[in-house]
Amino acid sequence: MKKLLCLMLMLAMVLSIAPAFAEGAEPITLTVFRGDPGDQPTEDNKIYKLIEEKFGVTFKFEFLAGDLNEKLGLMIAGEDYPDLFDGGNSADLIINAGALINLLDYINPDDTPRLWEHIEPQKARLIEKDANGNDVLYIIPNYGLADGDQIANSVGGPAFFIQKQVLAWADYPEIKTLNEYFDLLEEFILDNPTNADGTPYTGFAILCEDWRHFCLINPVQHLMGRPNDGEVYICVTEQNYEVTGNDPSEPFKTETFIDKPYAKAYYEKLNEAFHNGLISQDTFVMNYDQYIAAISSGTVLGMFDQAWDFGTATSALIDAGMDENTYVALGLVYDPEYVNGVEIEEHYLNGSVPNVRRGFGISVKSEYAERIVAMWEEMLSNEWQLIFNWGIEGEDYYVENGRLMMTAEQYANTNDANWKLANKAEGFFQSSPKKQGWIMDGEFEGNAWEPGNQPEIVLGLMNEYDQAFLSAYGYSKFADFVNPPIELAPYGEAWQIDYTPVDVDHTKFLQIQDQRLPELITCDPAEFDAKWDAFVEEIAPYATAFADYMQEAVLAEAAKVLGE
Amino acid sequence: MNAAAQKTDKGLMPISKKGLLRTLAGQWQLMLMSVPVLLYVLLFNYFPMRGWIAAFQDFNPRIGFSGSKFIGLKNFIDLFGFGELPPDEFLIVFRNTLAMSLINLVFGTVSSILLAILLNELRIKWFKRTVQTVTYLPHFLSMVIVVSMAQNIFSTEGAVNDFIMSLGLVKEPVFWLGEGKLFWWLVGVINVWKEVGWSAIIYISAMTSIDPCLYEAASIDGAGRFARILHVTLPGIKSTFVILLIMNIGHLLEAGFDIQYLMGNPLVRDYSRTIDIYVLNYSVGAAKQNYGLAIAAGMFKSVVAIILLFTANFIARRLNENTLV
Repeated sequence: MKKLLCLMLMLAMVLSIAPAFAEGAEPITLTVFRGDPGDQPTEDNKIYKLIEEKFGVTFKFEFLAGDLNEKLGLMIAGEDYPDLFDGGNSADLIINAGALINLLDYINPDDTPRLWEHIEPQKARLIEKDANGNDVLYIIPNYGLADGDQIANSVGGPAFFIQKQVLAWADYPEIKTLNEYFDLLEEFILDNPTNADGTPYTGFAILCEDWRHFCLINPVQHLMGRPNDGEVYICVTEQNYEVTGNDPSEPFKTETFIDKPYAKAYYEKLNEAFHNGLISQDTFVMNYDQYIAAISSGTVLGMFDQAWDFGTATSALIDAGMDENTYVALGLVYDPEYVNGVEIEEHYLNGSVPNVRRGFGISVKSEYAERIVAMWEEMLSNEWQLIFNWGIEGEDYYVENGRLMMTAEQYANTNDANWKLANKAEGFFQSSPKKQGWIMDGEFEGNAWEPGNQPEIVLGLMNEYDQAFLSAYGYSKFADFVNPPIELAPYGEAWQIDYTPVDVDHTKFLQIQDQRLPELITCDPAEFDAKWDAFVEEIAPYATAFADYMQEAVLAEAAKVLGE
Repeated sequence: MNAAAQKTDKGLMPISKKGLLRTLAGQWQLMLMSVPVLLYVLLFNYFPMRGWIAAFQDFNPRIGFSGSKFIGLKNFIDLFGFGELPPDEFLIVFRNTLAMSLINLVFGTVSSILLAILLNELRIKWFKRTVQTVTYLPHFLSMVIVVSMAQNIFSTEGAVNDFIMSLGLVKEPVFWLGEGKLFWWLVGVINVWKEVGWSAIIYISAMTSIDPCLYEAASIDGAGRFARILHVTLPGIKSTFVILLIMNIGHLLEAGFDIQYLMGNPLVRDYSRTIDIYVLNYSVGAAKQNYGLAIAAGMFKSVVAIILLFTANFIARRLNENTLV
């Protein structure tokens, strides 16, 4: 009996010493859940094949279909967890339900130097305290841990968008304020009521569906010179305190902006635009598919949105050769007349920020935590990052004088959804830890990790219309239309903060906006003031409850980084 | 006629105790055949009711029924708007549910009876069949598709607005989809369009079982077409109508979910949300999941349904009609 025990112990030791991913390791299949919609890779996907050869790992993907919260609720109810668990925008739910393991049990400077180095610079933001005060890390951010100087070729997030043809028609003016923007839209539509096919143009579209209602309720904070903090305005700079009239002695003063006098100007402007025929009533009842269809048709001249939100429409426009109907992101601010003559500094582009609590966690049901972490560790090598980002040399890219290059065709492939299903490992890689920014060492030092950020590709592959468009402005890239990236305040981006403790108030807070703001936009201008006052009064209790909670949460986040 | 039927019933089945047992024993084959059905009902309808216990708990699926904490009537208090959830909301969704249900019930019944009568009066067989098929096909369409079509047709640039504007009925397009007060009626119209043919089938079959002699006799007595409909067809389907009405009244709190969920938007929220949507929003759809609330709502609906069913049944019996129970 003792002998048997000894033998077993020895066996266990030997097994634990052997690298978990040694070639020829026992083949395993990892179940994967992604909290966003996607497509299954093809059977013979070449990158997954490489992973299988090297790590003995195959994946079984489940992508989100339907409502995320409902799906996660069901998974939590049945404790039916996959190995790799990406809870999407509702990862808080699965973390609070105890579905994920603490990765710090496996990640440390000695065993996993690459992973450690990857998270170390941002560890104040990433490592949290659990209920017992222990350090925990549930998810390594899928994006935002970038190396080297900030890359900003284009605006990927929120902005006011306008069709390129409108700017071209007006002979390439600089549009910086709300009034300039709507004046231009109005002039253009007066001159060109319909497109060449006779379809009428829509001046300004507002998507109000479900969680995408940020198009309706978020713009004011940007007009007031703050980046995306969700539904609150947080004073950071002196100017922020000045325009909101808050007391500068209160650090990171947080307030809901929608019920403040300075928000009124925006919706009054929209009301005016509505009565000038720039906004159609249908925009308030449109669902996301209808919105994308409208934009893809090239008849929507402008909107407030985030670039990723209508990416499919942009691709459709490019595919159709309608380059003049694609959009430029503008960083609009309020005209001084709306804010006591202050010239607001725009703040649209941010310094990079880790996408906290977004990406894969490993579920408590997984037996393969050690192997997964060891695999990630190996995959953070330059060799594997190159495979994930650029592909296979000779097939997907080529090298010229130490520069990573792609032919036009190779680059076009990277935007082809069907090609990617067979040649990229996006289902896995998008939610896994990854390197971004610039390659800092090795053979390809100084190249960009993502092909789309490689300067040669950005310039060389830009179509002629865009090149001419940019040179008319004297710009080199589309990000030049907005401010250069500004480093974020210590609290990060407040939209990432978990607000579940005030969920009921927050839901009501949003519902009132969803309902009243369209009414305000479409009402008789003579009634606007009275309706606005009624709206402010109705929303006040919920706004206060939400703001109070957020104030504390923002201070807590800031304290993590400032190390109070 | 009813009295006569009861007499024969009594003659067939004497209800003395000994006699009952003997009858049961005599029909043991029939009893045996009903066992699977009985099991089915027990297993799928009664057994799951043990989950009602969660209505009184702060239910946590990870711990289960036995471990979750009992919190008394808190879920019900929340549901009716006296607790954590915003007040008034329950009244609004309750009103919406009842209103849409009633509109559906009245419109649906009247339209399907009308269609059945019209079809019954048709003498050209192929035409009758074609119409019947065309009207019941929409029943098989998914609500997602129906709502997408409706959204196109009723948009401010849609066919309906084009039509009424070309007739000069209105100058500005009507904002069908964004006007709260129109929402109930829109739901009613869409439901009628989708279900009229399907619901008419049962009335048509009731009409075919009317003895043709009655029509002949009525004609001989000088009844015209309308008189025949009024005095033969309608009385002939009365019992079917009453039974269906009783069943539908039991479903009065089921105003549907899909159509309101799909077609609702922030502008019509106050009119579009039903109890089901309200429960979804605050139970599984919320950031903090609350299954107890959903179960409490389910219980509430069941209790109301049972009360309504028996009330309707009681009234029908008083009016000396055929009844369900």
